[in-house]
Amino acid sequence: MGKTNYKQLKGSQSFRQRLLLSTLSRKAITIKEIRADETIPGLRTHEMSLLRLFETVCDDGVVEVNETGTQLKYKPGTIMGGKNLVHNCALSRSIGYYVEPLLVLGLFAKKPLSIRLKGITNDPRDPSVDTIRSTTLHILKRFGVPSEGLELKIEARGVAPNGGGEVLLTVPNVPKLTSVEWMDEGMVKRIRGQTFSAKVSVDFEHSMRYAARGIFNNLLPDVHIFQSHVSGLEAGKSPGYGISLVAETNSGCYISADTTVSLGRIEETEELDAEEKPERKPAADTGDEVASWLLQEVEKGGVVDSTHQGLLFTLCALCQQDVSKVRVGTLAPYAVETLRNIKEFLEVTFDIKPDPSTGTVILTCVGSGLPNLNRKLS
Amino acid sequence: PLKEKGRKKNPNLKQLVYGASGSSATAVVDENHESSDDDEGDGEDFFMPKGEQSKNLGGGSDVGYANSEDCSKFVNYGKLKDWKEKKVCESIRNRFTTGNWDEAGLRNK
Repeated sequence: MGKTNYKQLKGSQSFRQRLLLSTLSRKAITIKEIRADETIPGLRTHEMSLLRLFETVCDDGVVEVNETGTQLKYKPGTIMGGKNLVHNCALSRSIGYYVEPLLVLGLFAKKPLSIRLKGITNDPRDPSVDTIRSTTLHILKRFGVPSEGLELKIEARGVAPNGGGEVLLTVPNVPKLTSVEWMDEGMVKRIRGQTFSAKVSVDFEHSMRYAARGIFNNLLPDVHIFQSHVSGLEAGKSPGYGISLVAETNSGCYISADTTVSLGRIEETEELDAEEKPERKPAADTGDEVASWLLQEVEKGGVVDSTHQGLLFTLCALCQQDVSKVRVGTLAPYAVETLRNIKEFLEVTFDIKPDPSTGTVILTCVGSGLPNLNRKLS
Repeated sequence: PLKEKGRKKNPNLKQLVYGASGSSATAVVDENHESSDDDEGDGEDFFMPKGEQSKNLGGGSDVGYANSEDCSKFVNYGKLKDWKEKKVCESIRNRFTTGNWDEAGLRNK
């Protein structure tokens, strides 16, 4: 066994991408000064939970965290995948937080991945499980990932603070990803959506759907928003409702927007200032808002929405050694961070050119040609 | 969208992302950036020097969703347009199959 070289990193930012790209590129890392100056220093519970998840999916990885959690040493192992895996996602972040890196990790596993994730299914901070189903999975298919075995089944809803939701995620493993020339945004041909209500009246869903449809009325008739009112075990442990919308174009692009209202969550501001508790906005306003976000995403242009730019670039960089060319709207901050992480770990640099006539940005790169070594072994 | 003004000032998007020397990045994106209605000057305040970034963070409405948070989800839509207005909708009419296909096709030229 040779001596391991550790890539030295600092801070809490990009935690998921660092872990993912480290594992994929088989580069060991140390991260120092993780929230060293904060009142509560070190790794958060969801970050520890994510490390456990990586350990569940991989074999022989080495994770060392110091006592205060401000330092992490990580030596990636073999991505195994496999069936009947289970992970309890820490409730400080929703399942979407965990699924985002897991989807990419699963593609490069030795065996197809099938894992049950328990926790919060819908939350405003991460893409909801509905959006992952309606949008994220379609983006993977663009890179040659087969649709058989690529699935996210929602078995129970769960919102913050107590979760209780459950999903079954399956990801096929691939020998490699196929590069894309994905420039045509197309025209929006239909809008689909999903609302849910758990442990609250279905009226919340009606209001959101009615409001959202009202916004789209001027633009196109083909709008269907499905509802999912759940109770009992399927509704998890906390009350809430939410909406996820997707605009599908005639060139096979999916543009999404979503949010969730967790009625049981105590906001930090409310705790401090219980007297001046702001009134919760009506569900109709939530419908209005998310529908407006969707239209602003459509307006920006690009083959994916702002939220999915990072995933898009990651997949391009992981492709076989061919040129990928994609069009996106304004570069989102998270996407810029992603581009930097990709360069750091995969040594793939994108060419980035604005397209003045449309206000979009065109990115080109040559894939790192990372083969799925794990799969070859089998 | 990057408009004329911004582009002239910041001609090289690649440099802004990866940093001028190509080594460690010097430019950091301002997450608090609000997509303004008219796109005026969008390119200018889109990228900010590292220090500036945290200054703008205080008093944000999303308590706890700070800049360094590991969130892919884009939520900074700024002030929303009134999409109930027919006129506002017309501005993106050709992005829908109900619009003008010839004009829409020009986008991919």
